[in-house]
Amino acid sequence: MRNAIEVHDLTKYYGNHLAVDRISFEVHQGEIFGFLGPNGAGKTTTQRMLTTLLKPTSGQVFIHGHDLARDSYPAKRVMGLVPEESCVYTELSAWDNLLFTARLYLVPRGERAGRARQLLETFGLWEKRDVKVENFSKGMRRRLSIAMAIIHKPALLFLDEPTPGLDAQSARDILGLIRKLNSDGTTVFLTTHLIEEANQLCDRVAIINDGKIANIDTPENLKRTFQRVQSVEVSLEPNGHNHSQELASLAGVTTAVKMGDKWRLYTEDPSALLPLIMDFATSNGLRVVSLNTLAPSLEDVFLEITGREVGVIQHKPQDNQPARRGMGGRK
Amino acid sequence: MNNQWIQRLKNEFSQAWAVAVKDVRVYYLRPGMIMFGFLMPFFMFFSFSVRRQLDAGDGLARLLALTVFFTAAAAGPFIIPTERRIRTYDRLLAAPMSLLTLLLGKIAVGAFFAIAVSTVALTAGLLIFKVSIARPDLLAAGILLGASAFSTLGLIFGSIPTNNPGDVQMPSTLLRWGLMFVSGVFIPISEMMPAARAIAYLSPLTYAQDLMNHAVMGSGAINPWIDMAVLLLTSILLLWPSMRLHKRAQVLGR
Repeated sequence: MRNAIEVHDLTKYYGNHLAVDRISFEVHQGEIFGFLGPNGAGKTTTQRMLTTLLKPTSGQVFIHGHDLARDSYPAKRVMGLVPEESCVYTELSAWDNLLFTARLYLVPRGERAGRARQLLETFGLWEKRDVKVENFSKGMRRRLSIAMAIIHKPALLFLDEPTPGLDAQSARDILGLIRKLNSDGTTVFLTTHLIEEANQLCDRVAIINDGKIANIDTPENLKRTFQRVQSVEVSLEPNGHNHSQELASLAGVTTAVKMGDKWRLYTEDPSALLPLIMDFATSNGLRVVSLNTLAPSLEDVFLEITGREVGVIQHKPQDNQPARRGMGGRK
Repeated sequence: MNNQWIQRLKNEFSQAWAVAVKDVRVYYLRPGMIMFGFLMPFFMFFSFSVRRQLDAGDGLARLLALTVFFTAAAAGPFIIPTERRIRTYDRLLAAPMSLLTLLLGKIAVGAFFAIAVSTVALTAGLLIFKVSIARPDLLAAGILLGASAFSTLGLIFGSIPTNNPGDVQMPSTLLRWGLMFVSGVFIPISEMMPAARAIAYLSPLTYAQDLMNHAVMGSGAINPWIDMAVLLLTSILLLWPSMRLHKRAQVLGR
């Protein structure tokens, strides 16, 4: 299978700051490839280098076999770009935005109007085609931005954080559109910090952290690799009492995290933990409202790899002092 | 192979035109363009002409030179940083066209603006002040070449890697004011001290003013062919710093 993108030892320095550190990966034609990482990890820098907006310090990028440094023109013709913000001309109508992009991307004159109409209908914007974009909602602008990026039918679409800031319905619509584009044959390079979005959409995911690729695999393989981050979720009644210390001290629990009215207990062996939880509940006069074992989520894997905090307190006692919980710190 | 290149050239021309037309529609009525491009030359002209006994033809020649100069140079420093800020510039940079094509499209925007506004000034001169034009051919050449040269000058400021128009408006305005005072717009170069005259010859506005003098009044201090050659060369040579600054922005990521 020919690769849509090949990256070899790509590096970017901003002055003395190393933003991207000799990363290498391939994106296969026809897949949705997720580029996942926390803020400041190097995602957008990488994507800007892949789309010719930023010059790498060193390394090579091939788009459909074309070396970006030597011959970017044919590479640009097969690319579509949806930047992080909805980069649309708010003074123009949706129709005029699309026709301008069609001219810019050399869509044959006779096909421009037809494609614009088809896209506006597909994206639910046909009725608003003559309305200035300044009157559009965020979701509508986002849809228009994607329509502008695909009017020339690119083989490879770069999407930078397509859904943040959108309401749930708009976000769902956008994800549906991305799936549809992919099923029609478009390779998608999706930059996101939203783990669930990557989990739902991507055939493969690269996790980038501190400018380096930490792991690349399918979401399911990544989860399998990190079986040690399995967990048991338990809800106890009455729930007013703080059981953090006691639950965290049960044998096999690496971390206990309070999540709403439930506790999530991370362990390598959930089956051994279940009777201990029941014993704990009985001996403390508590009723178990619900008890679930959970496989590692992509979020768990991501946090394990990146060592990021999730903004909750760790309740694993250590020298009798509760500490901030960092997922990467679970051992 | 030749056909491929001819097609590529056609494509690039069509893309530059698309960029120019889009900018005309999006930016011409923005307050920044109206203030720095449309009103400024008229303010400058009237503030320096009040209480001076100017011949109508002389006044029109100065007004035309000022209009072409200020208006053409206003577009670049306003449009490009604005587009960088709202990130629509990324879409243009990622499009399948050369950087030169994009910059030529941007130059056309400033040039069209200057041609339109100077036409207003010319119409006022012809209808209200009953000025007659000595050399219409030189007038057309002066407006076209001046618009192109000064739009390219403005583009240099627009190419500075920043996404805040305010960062480049101030230095570009200062430069324009400086050039205006040393370029024989208000003091004819024939009346200047030799040192001042030497500086005046370094400014492209001097040649635009001289060409307008030839066109409106039928006489000037420099050969009109030299005026046109300098303005044409300015249009070409000043593209280079803009290209370099864009390459620099590509390294800096702005």
